[in-house]
Amino acid sequence: MTQAIEKTLEIAGIGIIGVFIFMAIFYLLILALDTFLPYKEEVGAQENSVDVETEDETQN
Amino acid sequence: MGLEQLMPAIASITWQDLVMIAIGLILIYLAIAKNYEPTLLLPIGFGAILVNIPFSSAITQIDPATGQAVEGVLNTFFNAGIVTEIFPLLIFVAIGAMIDFSPLFRNPSLLLFGAAAQFGIFMTMIFASLLGYDLREAASIGIIGAADGPTSIVVASRFAPNLLGPISVAAYSYMALVPIIQPPVIRLLTTKKERLIRMSTAGNYNKKISKKALIAFPITVTIVAGIIAPSSLALIGFLMFGNLIRECGVLNKLSLAAQNELASLVTLLLGITIASTMTSDRFIRVDTLIIIALGLFAFIFDTFGGVIFAKFMNLFRKEGNKINPMIGACGISAFPMSARVIHQMGQKEDPFNYLLMPAISANVGGQIGSVVAGGIILTLVPLLA
Repeated sequence: MTQAIEKTLEIAGIGIIGVFIFMAIFYLLILALDTFLPYKEEVGAQENSVDVETEDETQN
Repeated sequence: MGLEQLMPAIASITWQDLVMIAIGLILIYLAIAKNYEPTLLLPIGFGAILVNIPFSSAITQIDPATGQAVEGVLNTFFNAGIVTEIFPLLIFVAIGAMIDFSPLFRNPSLLLFGAAAQFGIFMTMIFASLLGYDLREAASIGIIGAADGPTSIVVASRFAPNLLGPISVAAYSYMALVPIIQPPVIRLLTTKKERLIRMSTAGNYNKKISKKALIAFPITVTIVAGIIAPSSLALIGFLMFGNLIRECGVLNKLSLAAQNELASLVTLLLGITIASTMTSDRFIRVDTLIIIALGLFAFIFDTFGGVIFAKFMNLFRKEGNKINPMIGACGISAFPMSARVIHQMGQKEDPFNYLLMPAISANVGGQIGSVVAGGIILTLVPLLA
């Protein structure tokens, strides 16, 4: 087995495990965000939309 | 005065140029008549014609009078937009602004399919390496399996710019061919009974998600990804930046601009600029055919990875809470095409089986997974090459 193939196997092994680790972390992150920032009836949506217009206009 | 002086292009045209012009025409035909990724394949096809007419001023030519190189506009675009990675990263901002992560919050476990369906990337890397490609080239070919054009372009432009043309064409062509590639692979790997499984977590899909959580998600993902793998930050960071613009609720105009004008303009420039690498001397090689074959291999193994992982997860799940293994195939980044294909396959087996919502969740996971895989490759290859 050549050195290049060995390195490719190493990257493939670390890579696929790495993707799973990243996604597992993001999974936990979603659970945490969902726990600490649960949905509540969000009021003032119309007030926010007025703010949106104002801020966007400012940027133009 | 001979033909050579009057019409130098006709006198100098080679059969390779003609083949490339024919390839350009085929890509335009596929884009218009078959609607295969027209936003990319049409500019790429037209660009292929543009750069393969001898002495085309669209690409760099040597001025016979002075002997100096006169830079063509497509080479200027290439150096400014692809070499610097600006075009694909701007596309990421646009994609980020288009993605709604709330389906993932409704069923976060499906995020893992976004990891499993990257299997094809690494299998293809190994296979390319066995065929004699060096590590950087093998990684660039493998990334076709990300089913994500901008990620493929970033990785290939950094590690194997000489292969950028065929890699981009393969990536975008196979994304368009997902409805043809995935179903036979899925049918081969699953039984009819498995394909009939109904996802019992349908109730989750009515769950409302907090705006604050959706705003915090792109910020925390960027910080976490940056701490673990800083090299992945350009990819993940720009994607999440686009998503933050979408979710923050105070930049609606910017969000719409990113989703529409920015996406359209950069896609247009990206396509035609990639074509600058599709000159006959670079493209008509055995390598191109091998890369296109390996791209198909990558998509097949992505589907394999997702489906087999779903079957593996089912080993630990109780009856009535099983995952339809077809959902695993949605872990690729081709959004929303893959989710739609799986939903249609499910409906073909059982018209009352609605797999669209879980399929969308897994497909959104795939969009994150492909970028993460690209970031990991960008980190690991320079360390080991």
